Amino acid sequence: MHNRQITNRHRFIGFALIALVVYILSNIVDEWRSYQGATVAVYVVAIASVILLTGYSGQISLGHGALLAVGAYSAALTQIYLHAPVWICFVIAVLTTALFGAILGTAAARLSGPYLAGTTLALAVGLPSIANQFSIFGGEQGISFDAGWPPLSFGENFTQYKWFFWIGSLAALIAMWWVQNILRSRYGRSWRAVKSNEVAAELAGINIGRSKVLAFTISSGIAGLAGALLAMTMNNVSPSAFPLALSFSIATGAILSGVNTLGGVMIGSVALVAIPEIASSIADRWSGSENLATLLPEFIVSALLILTVFLAPKGPIEKLRSRHSK
Amino acid sequence: MIRTTRRKFLVASAVMAATALSLSVMPAQALSPRSEVGVTSTAIKLGITLPMTGSASYGYNQLPGAMKAYFDYVNANGGVNGRKISLVVKNDAYLPKQAIQNTQDLIGKDKVLAVIGALGTANNKAVASAVNLGRRGIPSLFINTGFSGFNDRKAYPTSSTILPSYIMEAKMIGKYVNETYPTKKTCLLYQDDDFGDDALVGFDKTHGNLDFAVKVAYPSLSQGVAGVPDSWITKFKAGGCEVQVVFGVASATLYTILAAAKAQYAPKWILGSVGADIGSINPATVPYIIGATSMSFMPSVVDPKDEYVAKFKEINTTYNSAGAKFNSWALIGMNTAFVAVQALKAAGKNPTRKSLLAAIDANGSKFANAGLVPLNYSKTSNVGFNGYWFGTFNKTGDLVPNDTFTYTPYTTDSGTGPVVKTTYTRPAMPAKGLPN
Amino acid sequence: MFQFINTLLIGVTAGSIYSLMAIAIVLVWRSTRVVNFAAGGLALASSFVGAAILEKSGSFWIALPVAMLAGAVFSAFIEYFFLRPLLNRSGEKNQEIFLPIIATLGLLGIIKAVLNFIYGDRIGVIPPPLSDKGFIVSGESIALSPLRILILGIVLLLMIVLTIVFQRTNLGLSLRAASFAPEISRLAGIRVDLIRTAGWAISGAAGATAGILQTTNGSGSIAPESFEFSLLLVFGFVAAVIGGIESLVGAVLGGLTLGIILAIILMYVGGSLVFFAAFLILILVLLVRPQGIIGVKGGRRA
Repeated sequence: MHNRQITNRHRFIGFALIALVVYILSNIVDEWRSYQGATVAVYVVAIASVILLTGYSGQISLGHGALLAVGAYSAALTQIYLHAPVWICFVIAVLTTALFGAILGTAAARLSGPYLAGTTLALAVGLPSIANQFSIFGGEQGISFDAGWPPLSFGENFTQYKWFFWIGSLAALIAMWWVQNILRSRYGRSWRAVKSNEVAAELAGINIGRSKVLAFTISSGIAGLAGALLAMTMNNVSPSAFPLALSFSIATGAILSGVNTLGGVMIGSVALVAIPEIASSIADRWSGSENLATLLPEFIVSALLILTVFLAPKGPIEKLRSRHSK
Repeated sequence: MIRTTRRKFLVASAVMAATALSLSVMPAQALSPRSEVGVTSTAIKLGITLPMTGSASYGYNQLPGAMKAYFDYVNANGGVNGRKISLVVKNDAYLPKQAIQNTQDLIGKDKVLAVIGALGTANNKAVASAVNLGRRGIPSLFINTGFSGFNDRKAYPTSSTILPSYIMEAKMIGKYVNETYPTKKTCLLYQDDDFGDDALVGFDKTHGNLDFAVKVAYPSLSQGVAGVPDSWITKFKAGGCEVQVVFGVASATLYTILAAAKAQYAPKWILGSVGADIGSINPATVPYIIGATSMSFMPSVVDPKDEYVAKFKEINTTYNSAGAKFNSWALIGMNTAFVAVQALKAAGKNPTRKSLLAAIDANGSKFANAGLVPLNYSKTSNVGFNGYWFGTFNKTGDLVPNDTFTYTPYTTDSGTGPVVKTTYTRPAMPAKGLPN
Repeated sequence: MFQFINTLLIGVTAGSIYSLMAIAIVLVWRSTRVVNFAAGGLALASSFVGAAILEKSGSFWIALPVAMLAGAVFSAFIEYFFLRPLLNRSGEKNQEIFLPIIATLGLLGIIKAVLNFIYGDRIGVIPPPLSDKGFIVSGESIALSPLRILILGIVLLLMIVLTIVFQRTNLGLSLRAASFAPEISRLAGIRVDLIRTAGWAISGAAGATAGILQTTNGSGSIAPESFEFSLLLVFGFVAAVIGGIESLVGAVLGGLTLGIILAIILMYVGGSLVFFAAFLILILVLLVRPQGIIGVKGGRRA
């Protein structure tokens, strides 16, 4: 029914609208909400990276937290040792993590299913812990990463978290723009071909190994950006910022967003930030029990996850669409 | 395919808009609050972040219960200038990242007046650098760590520690071991972060001057991994250790004692104050620690004649949750709350973050409290207690100085100053345990 | 030398417990092609049941079988009410393993939250049923105690029982058939659903045993928010993958390899490299044999 082609111009308008919404939001909300907004931006980038890898290229990762760690430490070390401006730190974080991902992906391309799940899981547990072994990483309390204070010309009331919100949102928008372009490119098509049928893809002349390694590399680069952004919101990089739970949260966010569609990425990101808050306010109202307040978020996220897996395994957006087209 | 992309955008934008709406209906904080953050005409809100679950939580997770019990007692007796004190407790599982997050929550979301009694060296270091407490003027009071780095007033203008520094503790252990066991082979278990590094300074040539035959550093939380404590003990046994210093958190101390029992390793134990009271966590360890040496700056929890202990015990029974033990952590928690109430009272009719910090600088060293060594708060110092008395664990696993409960406390500094017997006499307890 | 032997003994004990967890993972994988992260939560829940029974009855020998039974029931319950509908829905070909993994992660979260709700900051206690004091050999206590012999004995016994059951009753074959070709298996008269539930139940019992033994070998106590159990799950899964995820013998080899190498690293290198070492061991094994130590070539594509 719609024959109008969606062009890059339309998409650009879409992105500009989102940017406008973020801008307006950042001026309405208080410092605390700005901080949450910045966190949402981090999750958007991280989840997009998982969706690209798992949803489009068909490779499972339970260890994205480790890739975020690589990005975060690269950014912080670049700042500490090279005194580079923040945006260079971000770029270096992306490149370093992509390189790391290329090496890892070369090994991972030979693995599938549970083997890949196991390897990435072990990476998520193992990689952050080596920060304790080498003093350059600052041990348990970590090293600092200072994205700086907002320019004075923005006025005195411009808080640091609002600044983070801006930087995070801008980075997320750029990353998403780039990801959706790459998914619609030759590479994106080859990933989907490999995912749906390896044999057919091979017959069609696609180099399966190379296609998988490329997906791993790009996904890692984006994860590295998410890691650097996370370091920015925390002002700090420490091993404990990248527990197994972070990897699981990102995977959870991907499922809540719909792992096969990039468009839902906001849903999972907002859910990951909002649920703990909603849960704790429920717990507060319900009873003053601290025990309840600590366990309710986990319970709600878990229950939501199971519901999503059952009711909308392809994600809420696909669910909506399939209902519409009936 | 085309349709789907279009829809995706519609939905994505819809979600964005919905988020925007839901966020914007939340009331933004009033721009210029008349009273200080965390203070209303009827209430004062304080916050704490510490491990409530996980391997490092043993013992320390009893601090908030005791603190709340004392605050509730004060609230039941009129509060602080009519204001009731509440304590928001956040669990960081001893993870620096979570401590940062929690502190940001406490400040941004819960809007507390001050953070009080936060625990852990690495955690508080990460928080100090990440949350910029000093720059934002937010007090983090009576931090439960002995990391000497926090005593740099320029770097941490709004923080104060309550425990004696780990350098002080190590210096005292050094003196004690050198005098008591001059010829024995001594070994050390310590945590592989600033907590342990501080101790190493205290043990070095210029400070405590204690040499170790075997030193084992354990990474934080690794004590929970099967086989890890066994490997420590194997190393100590291979080194022929006769005196064993354990400078770790409570769970590490606990696991060390259990693993040593399994391997029938029975050195003379010297348990650092931070993790010594393991008998109250796991009664199975009591038989193994009888006679072990440790130290404290508080009176013994089983001291029958100490007025503070008696009153705090009574408050614990009435106001803490049912079955909450009165152990060393409960005593420390209650004492911290007791000191905090005096600080709030000293901060004036309408306390602010500034007046609270100023009150501690001006009067902190005179606050009544159970400690047997002085508090050292002043304009130039944010150091809490500065010394210890030595004692041994009795048959019930409680630390006592001797049968007659006569204490010989020593004090020192974090530099190279000597360890000396103190002549400090603590202020008498105010009537009913309520500071006026 | 003495120290090295002790290191090996510590590693073998830890490794044999990882093996049990690995067996729990392998059994579920064999029966339903699901990587079961809920196994860690099930082991934790069953261990709490064991601790409760132990408190009431005072006997470890009652508590252990009851905990195993509880593990089997919990596990079968999860298969019946969650995984079966999910797998039926996603169809027989079941290429996607990401979704079930996430579902079991969700279950893990729910189990932990429920345990937290019930127990809060209370802990369950499982003291050692036998002496945990090391034997004295030429005047030195070694890292082998009656308790550790018991642990090794229980693991060995379970493996022998499982091996016999799998060889004598074709359960193993049916399991594999039920997961690879459910339609054909049904035609061949295999009660696919029942077989799958059985696989999960045995897995639950193995996990429960791992949980109880882990607790009594370690600090003797468990908390709902147990770091030890997260590690048990991770190391059990890594051991299963090293062993080739299909094979019980592989799971045991994987567990022992992991346990021994980690113990050596702990003793001679340092504590902070343990987790990274687990990753290195895994990736080294998989680089040489992408299908694990005892894995079927090509089987990984299924």
